Amino acid sequence: MEKNSTKAMIITLATIGIISAILLTFVYQWTIPYIEENQEETRRAAIKEVLPLAEEINQVERESQIFYEGYDNSGNRVGVAYQHSGGGYNGPIELMIGVDLEAEEIIQISILNHQETPGLGARITEEEYKSNFVGKPFGDYVVVKTPPSKTMEVQAVAGATISSSNTTRIVEEAVSMINNAYGGGS
Amino acid sequence: MSVNAKQLISDFKNGLWQENPIFRLVIGMCPTLAVTNTMVNGLAMGLATSFVLISSEIVVSLIKKLIPGDVRIPSYILIIATFVTFVDYFLKAFYPSIAASLSLFVPLIVVNCLILGRQETFASQNPVHRSFADALGMGIGFTWALLLLSAVRELFGMGSMFGLQILGDWYRPMVIMVLPAGAFITLGILIAIMNVIGKNATNDTTCH
Repeated sequence: MEKNSTKAMIITLATIGIISAILLTFVYQWTIPYIEENQEETRRAAIKEVLPLAEEINQVERESQIFYEGYDNSGNRVGVAYQHSGGGYNGPIELMIGVDLEAEEIIQISILNHQETPGLGARITEEEYKSNFVGKPFGDYVVVKTPPSKTMEVQAVAGATISSSNTTRIVEEAVSMINNAYGGGS
Repeated sequence: MSVNAKQLISDFKNGLWQENPIFRLVIGMCPTLAVTNTMVNGLAMGLATSFVLISSEIVVSLIKKLIPGDVRIPSYILIIATFVTFVDYFLKAFYPSIAASLSLFVPLIVVNCLILGRQETFASQNPVHRSFADALGMGIGFTWALLLLSAVRELFGMGSMFGLQILGDWYRPMVIMVLPAGAFITLGILIAIMNVIGKNATNDTTCH
C-alpha cells in the first residue's frame, strides 16, 4: 500500500481515533464517579450555606424546576433553595439562593461556579458582596457604587460593576422563579 | 560522558533557557496571557501543558513512521486531544477547584502551538529518548516562565503569592496587573530583561 494513498490516510486517522476513544472511555468511567461526587458535594455545601437553619433537605420538583426545601427538627419549613445561572463578565455564573417564603426575604446566596476576573469580579464570592442580599425583601434591586442607603440597594464590588449587576439580575430572576413556583408573586 | 548522554542533556536544557517557549520562542501565548493572573493557575497550567507535551511527544515519536505525511497534523492533534481530555477529566475529578478556575483553558491546551510545534519540529524527526528529553525541558521551561509571570502579576495585582497575603494593608493593588493588559505589560518587561541577560551571557558567541 502506498504511504500517502487515500486509503492509508483514512486507516491511520481511523485507527488513532478508535484507540483514543477506547482509552478515553476508560478514563471517563474511572473519573466520572469522582466528578459527580464533587458536584454533589459543592451543591450540598451551597444549600447548607444558604439555608443555615435547615436540618433536613427535601428535593422537590415544581413547574419542572428542582427546588430544595429545608426543614428544621420540628418539621417546619425554614426556607427554599434554588440553583440558578446566568451570564457574567467572562462566562456563566451559577449560584444557589435560599429564601424565606413566609417573610418574603432572601436568607443568603452562594456562588457555585463562575469565571470572573480574579481580584475583581471573582470577589462576588466574598462575604462582603454576598452579605448585600442577606435579609433583602423580594423585588427589584438597584446596584450602587457607594454603601447602600436604601433597602433595595446592592453595593457593587469595586471595579467589577458588570459582574455585580449581572449577579444581582440572576438573584432577581431566581427569586421570581421561586415565587412563581410557590404561588407567591405578590 | 558519552556523546549520547551529552546530546540528551543539551536537548533537555534547550527548552529551559536558550529556546524557552515563552521568553525566547514566544509561542503558546494564549494560556500564557490568560491564566497567569494567579500563581496557582500559572503552575497548574504549566504542569498540565507539560504532561500533555511529554506524553504526546513520546507517542508521536514512537509512531512517526506509521503516519502518512499528508495527515500528520490531524494525527498529532488527535493524539494531543486525547491527552488533554485525560487531563481535563483528571483535574475535574481530583482537583475540582483548579479545574474550576482554569475552566475552558484546559481544553484549549489542544491548540497550544507549543505542543503541536514540538511534534512537528522535534518528535516527528527524533527518537523517543531525545523527544522525551526535549519535552521535559520544554515543559519545565514553559512552567517556570508561567510561574514567574504569574508571580509578578499576583504580587502587584493582589499583593499576594499563592493566595497568601504578602503585602500589608498599606499596599493598594494595581488592578491592571490581573487584567489582560497586565499580562502584556509584564510579558514585555520580562522578555526585555531576558534579552539583556541573554545578550550579556552569550556575548562571545555569535550564533543564535
